[in-house]
Amino acid sequence: MCGIAGFTFSVGLSTEERRALFGDRARRMAASLRHRGPDAQRGLLLDGVALVHARLSILDPVGGSQPMRDRSTGVAIVFNGEIFNYLELREQLGSRYAFRTRSDTEVLLACYLHRGIDCVIDLLGQFAFAIYDPRIRTLWLARDRVGIVPLHFTETAEGFAFASEAKALFAGGWRAPALDARGVKQTLQLWSPVLPRTTFEGISQLPPASVGRWWKGRLETWRYWDLDLGVEPRAELDAARAQEELGALLEDAVRLRLRADVPVAAFLSGGLDSSLLCGIAQSQLGGTLRTFSVAFADPSFDERAFQDEVATRLATRHRSVVVSSREIGELLPAVARHAEQVLLRSAPAPLWLLSRLVRACGTKVVLTGEGSDEIFLGYDLYRETRVRQFWARRPDSRSRPALLRRLYPYLPMREQGHELLQQFFGIGLDDPGHPGFSHLPRWAASSRNLRFLSRGFAERAAKEDPVTSLLATLPARMRGWKPLARAQYLEMQTLLAGYLLSAQGDRMLMGNSVEGRFPLLDHRLIEFAAALPERLKLRGLAEKWLLRRYAARWVPPVILERDKYPYRAPIAAALTGPQAPGWAREVFSRESVRKVGVFDEEKVEKLVAKLSVRSAAASEADGQAFTAVATTQLLADQLLAPGRVPQRDVDMVELETA
Amino acid sequence: MSSRARIRGFIVESFFVDDFSDTESFLGNSIIDSLGMLELVAFLEKEFGITIADTELIPDNLDSLARVCAFVERKRLIGNAA
Repeated sequence: MCGIAGFTFSVGLSTEERRALFGDRARRMAASLRHRGPDAQRGLLLDGVALVHARLSILDPVGGSQPMRDRSTGVAIVFNGEIFNYLELREQLGSRYAFRTRSDTEVLLACYLHRGIDCVIDLLGQFAFAIYDPRIRTLWLARDRVGIVPLHFTETAEGFAFASEAKALFAGGWRAPALDARGVKQTLQLWSPVLPRTTFEGISQLPPASVGRWWKGRLETWRYWDLDLGVEPRAELDAARAQEELGALLEDAVRLRLRADVPVAAFLSGGLDSSLLCGIAQSQLGGTLRTFSVAFADPSFDERAFQDEVATRLATRHRSVVVSSREIGELLPAVARHAEQVLLRSAPAPLWLLSRLVRACGTKVVLTGEGSDEIFLGYDLYRETRVRQFWARRPDSRSRPALLRRLYPYLPMREQGHELLQQFFGIGLDDPGHPGFSHLPRWAASSRNLRFLSRGFAERAAKEDPVTSLLATLPARMRGWKPLARAQYLEMQTLLAGYLLSAQGDRMLMGNSVEGRFPLLDHRLIEFAAALPERLKLRGLAEKWLLRRYAARWVPPVILERDKYPYRAPIAAALTGPQAPGWAREVFSRESVRKVGVFDEEKVEKLVAKLSVRSAAASEADGQAFTAVATTQLLADQLLAPGRVPQRDVDMVELETA
Repeated sequence: MSSRARIRGFIVESFFVDDFSDTESFLGNSIIDSLGMLELVAFLEKEFGITIADTELIPDNLDSLARVCAFVERKRLIGNAA
């Protein structure tokens, strides 16, 4: 993966004028994305458009240099990501294009020249790219189907600018950094801003599966693909046949993602999904797979025993890094700076440390198991939705809601009387057709974060109701879908694209110059899973039923039999008390909280005081609010201050004009 | 301070909620989440010297300030009688 950026300006300037007026801005943008592409940073000033690129060399290290331009048409591209089927596409193009390199970038360029922007439908991969076509004076933008690779943009009086990360738009001077009150409020309740809105004022993000066309001073965007979960399930499919098809698809998804001119390693969490991918990859690589794990010093978060078991059974070359809550505290400033959004959990921090380990071992590419819980219905949220739907059909039943107690064995909730649980999970029971039905208890719980807002900030965002904003973005046809399909769609739009793949994915990986690849989010697999009868995914309350059955041939029984374990990391203990890092005292101070202005300083003080007492287990709600305050303060502290891109990085950017 | 004021004070301080009526449902209005209920129970036991059984953890006893106050009163009466 890499970093890309660019902007438009008036046409008809000489090459000298372009350099003088825009050279430095282009350089600063490229330099600010250096972590995404430490191998080279280059810029290209065309007539009216600048394109810049920071490169992490993975395919064709010599020939794949960017920005890339087709001499005969003048069409130029900057591309971040991977087109995994580039060899097949290249084959299909045959003699219609004379290739000069072995890179997937040139294949993408050739595909565009052959069939225009519709070529995006043929791409199997994870990507964000910009193509400038001088023949039609159009700047095209596109983003992959599920949102693995980020792409931000801003429209200003000076022109249109885009970049992989918001920080490049700040570095280029296109926007003065400021928090977007609505975006922050949305994140506090929904875990992420509702796209195209972001955490920053005036900065938008292209939604996944979308194409944008900047033409005649206007941006038009549309979806080229959507997750259709209303498809008629393939009723004829029996378990054996489904398992066979699943195996063929997943093995092919892994095979394509092992394509690289550098070694591909894998994350190993010790859960089902990563263990399965490691099993398949190890077999395809003939035993040379390297695996990496993060372990926790605090045993209540630790999964080391399972990781070691899988690594030993599969005979991978395994490395792990142990993270303490103290380190999580120390890492949080870097995590917030790279995530560029308010966080409700500290879980990205260990991922940051893990990515750093991968990079330190000389590895640039890792497979990760993200996506499986979304497409094969693995999350407790789906089981919860099923129980609540079952209950909603007979709201007076006493036995139906009792099933809720089976859902969360790892939370102390079990200790409570189930009638209290009922009161909580009974939210929205009177309207089981509501598009947000599945998520209402979660959103009600996280709305508590909004209590910490300062009066002034709450007033600025008074018109914003996050749930209403989110529901307004949903396709109308979703109303006709089954409850679990609606839950899955919401989950993929909010938590997956807006948090897991970004704050806890791309940003942590690329912050350490490591590319993640996600076989379970291969769109062929997503479409296959969407057409599976529900009973093959969530059978009764048995989650990921089919995947589990298939996985039996690859992973040790102990992994199949273990309870599902959510990935979490400690937070409060890391930031309060005598061991807290110096920055924590600073950002939680009354003065600093008042200066940033998002949260109420008195409430923050009380929250910190409450969490500093170690007597009771910190509740999820307090932990969320605390993490939100810490990361908001850190974002304000680091990103809202004037951009400081090191001059030597700026000087290293090569600039061409054409 | 009345027990009502002490309980209200605890809820304001612990759950960071500014304003709520005596009869509002804690859970239904997201004033306290289900884990927060355990904090509330621990507070009541300590503050009023009562013991609350698992079977008493029901909305009728705990799901609004008025209900909690009435419940605590009943418990104290029983405690004194015993």
